[in-house]
Amino acid sequence: MEPIITVRGLKKSYGDKVVLKDINLDIYPGKIIGYIGPNGAGKSTTVKILTGIIQDYEGQVMVSGKNLRDNILDVKSKVGYIPELAELYDLLTPREYLSFIGKLYHLHDDIIEERSRKMLESFGLSDNIDQRMDSFSKGMKQKVLITSGLLHNPTIVIMDEPLSGLDANAVILVKELLQALKQEGKTIFYCSHMMDVVEKVSDRIVLINNGSIIADGTIDELRQNNADTLEQIFSRLTSSGNQVQRADDLAAAMNDRVS
Amino acid sequence: MINKLLLRLVMLPSALWQSMGADVVQLRAILQVRLTMDDRKPMSIGRQQKKGRKSYSMVSVFMYCVLGCFYMFPLLAVGDRILSLTMYFSLFLTIMTLMLLTDFSSVLFDARDKYILFPRPVNDRTLVLGRLLHVFVYLFRIIVPMSVPGWIVLGLRDGWKSALLFPLPVLLLVCMVLFFVNGIYMLVLKLVKPEKFKDVINYFQVLASVVFFACVYLLPRFFDSEHTHDFNILNYPWVRYTPSYWLALCWSWIGYPVALAGTAVLSALAVVCPVVCLYVLIRWLSPAFSRRIAGIDAVDVAESKAPGIKREAPGKFYQKLAYAFNRSDDARAGFMIAWLQSSRSRAFRMRVYPTFAFIPMYFVYLLTENHTSFTHAMLHLADRPKHLFLLYTSSFVMITALSYLTMSDQYKAAWVYYATPVRVPGKIMIGAFKAIWIKYFLPFFLLIATFVLYVWGLRVISDVVLALVNVTLFVSCIARLSHRQLPFSTMEQMKDRGGRILKSFLVMLIPFTLGIGHYFSLNLLWLKMLFLVLSAILLWLVADSYGNTSWENMLQSEIE
Repeated sequence: MEPIITVRGLKKSYGDKVVLKDINLDIYPGKIIGYIGPNGAGKSTTVKILTGIIQDYEGQVMVSGKNLRDNILDVKSKVGYIPELAELYDLLTPREYLSFIGKLYHLHDDIIEERSRKMLESFGLSDNIDQRMDSFSKGMKQKVLITSGLLHNPTIVIMDEPLSGLDANAVILVKELLQALKQEGKTIFYCSHMMDVVEKVSDRIVLINNGSIIADGTIDELRQNNADTLEQIFSRLTSSGNQVQRADDLAAAMNDRVS
Repeated sequence: MINKLLLRLVMLPSALWQSMGADVVQLRAILQVRLTMDDRKPMSIGRQQKKGRKSYSMVSVFMYCVLGCFYMFPLLAVGDRILSLTMYFSLFLTIMTLMLLTDFSSVLFDARDKYILFPRPVNDRTLVLGRLLHVFVYLFRIIVPMSVPGWIVLGLRDGWKSALLFPLPVLLLVCMVLFFVNGIYMLVLKLVKPEKFKDVINYFQVLASVVFFACVYLLPRFFDSEHTHDFNILNYPWVRYTPSYWLALCWSWIGYPVALAGTAVLSALAVVCPVVCLYVLIRWLSPAFSRRIAGIDAVDVAESKAPGIKREAPGKFYQKLAYAFNRSDDARAGFMIAWLQSSRSRAFRMRVYPTFAFIPMYFVYLLTENHTSFTHAMLHLADRPKHLFLLYTSSFVMITALSYLTMSDQYKAAWVYYATPVRVPGKIMIGAFKAIWIKYFLPFFLLIATFVLYVWGLRVISDVVLALVNVTLFVSCIARLSHRQLPFSTMEQMKDRGGRILKSFLVMLIPFTLGIGHYFSLNLLWLKMLFLVLSAILLWLVADSYGNTSWENMLQSEIE
């Protein structure tokens, strides 16, 4: 099977700061990839490159056999992006926002209308479709954002912390949604800090630290012994110190004692 | 420095605050933080400041001083001291009230209080006192510089007695302002749903900037014209019911004559009224107020089945317009977002709406240029070709709207343009441009055109058409040269950059050239027609170029 996304020698720096050192990845269709790493590891930068938001990078990114650099619009129409931290024009209503986004994907009005209605209904937001989003909770905005990323029926879905702000029921819904999307043959690139979710949903986990991939494989491959959770693996690979000791130090500082 | 001094001043009676049940240490800490934050807030009028925060206090002191100069005019121009003071205090009262209403909403409705102060062990009295003292310091910093010009004028003209008396009525005035503002807030909170509250405050802000503008432009002119000296308070007997008249009556204590017979006794109200107001404020309004404020941010999403939430049918008016005026989907998207976002964004409304009032006001200013009265000027209006001026100044609305079209607090939400398959960003830009043109400029221009046709007659219809094309040409040049950015995609600070100054200067040459051209062709219809055709062609070319702005062009203009 041909990979749907191929990344070769991907590098990116901001001034002197090197964010991505040399990323090489092959992502196969119909898989859920968990992309994890500590804060500042380069996750969001990778995502922004894959979604075409950042265009000045070194290396090569191929999507569906096409070079991203030369076919940016084609690639963008295949990709659905769901960013973290509900950044949207919240003075609009969900209907208006989705209609705006749909237009940018050149969808027909009837299709936008029907899909938005159905999707928001599934999220339990159909009664809020004509309310301005500035009064929405973070979770409600996130649901609209997820809808906006899937509206054009993308082949590849890139999610950056999609569960932030969602309540437990919505989290279950999205997890099920990921499986449903996978069943339909869609590829999902899933970025998150929520290790338990990543562990459960991902077919393959890629761990990035300081701009380089330091682990890549299924959860079973990453485990050194059967007891390891993804959280423990993550900590072992990315943390320089002992977290238990650090927690003790913190508690001691509060009480003015030496631990 | 000023902060430290003021803090020390308000904390002087700390024993008193303590006896009232406040925790003095907490009170000091709260005030200190609030005053520091005040200094770092942008000024109420105009742009956000970036650097030089330390000088901010001095800048605002200077600004308030200048503002004070504008309403001391009645003191200079009107002979009757009581009447002049009534006018002075009326202006003072109005401006202070508006300023407090607008500037202060942010202090009163600091949502962070809910997270930062409410969970801490701070008692209610400390909180209320912290708020009140903050108000006091805030007012002190505004009122002192604002009243200095008037004080000096009184001292110089009337001598030391008058100058000595001055601070007392000013202090009383502060109490009244506090009461008014609280009263208005309470009223608004009662009448309006909490989620609409901030919108109402926003309209006050618009009103405030219009009043400031009127003060700066029209007041000196008004008091300069000859008939103001003949003002007679006897013609305005209702003045006795106004608080500013009561305040002015304080001067009757030091021997100034009171023209309205039997009203001298009302000067007692100047003292009684503020005291009663203050009592009512502290006793009843403040606690009720705090309770209501606490509810403001706790706006929940309205119940879905609640009546009044209208379900929007697809195919709304703006969508129909978007289809009628744009051929591509990208342009339609740009049109829709600009149409919707512009009427909902507070920042946008705040900046653009006052322009609608500025233009007629500026026109009045120019009409009365030769110190003639407004009625006289209006009578002879049709004799001169001033309609061109009026028609061309309408472009200010479009210029202002354009410059704020690309800005937004939510500029980060603009990631959508980059993550979606947008081939030519110019399409979105031109769509947004059309939305602004149709929504804000065209109705306003038609209004002005109606006025122009009414005054100057149908013979100037060719001028109206030519002006419409020329102004549109001019604003599209501005858009093409300085606003090659996506709608609501930039931070406000991004605007002031060096290269723009030269560009703006060059841009300003365009209306000048167009206007001069139009002026010379006033009496030659064939020339006007030729001009019209040329302008229309040029407009088409400029709009086409703007609509074809590529990603590279956009980046290039950002770098510039």
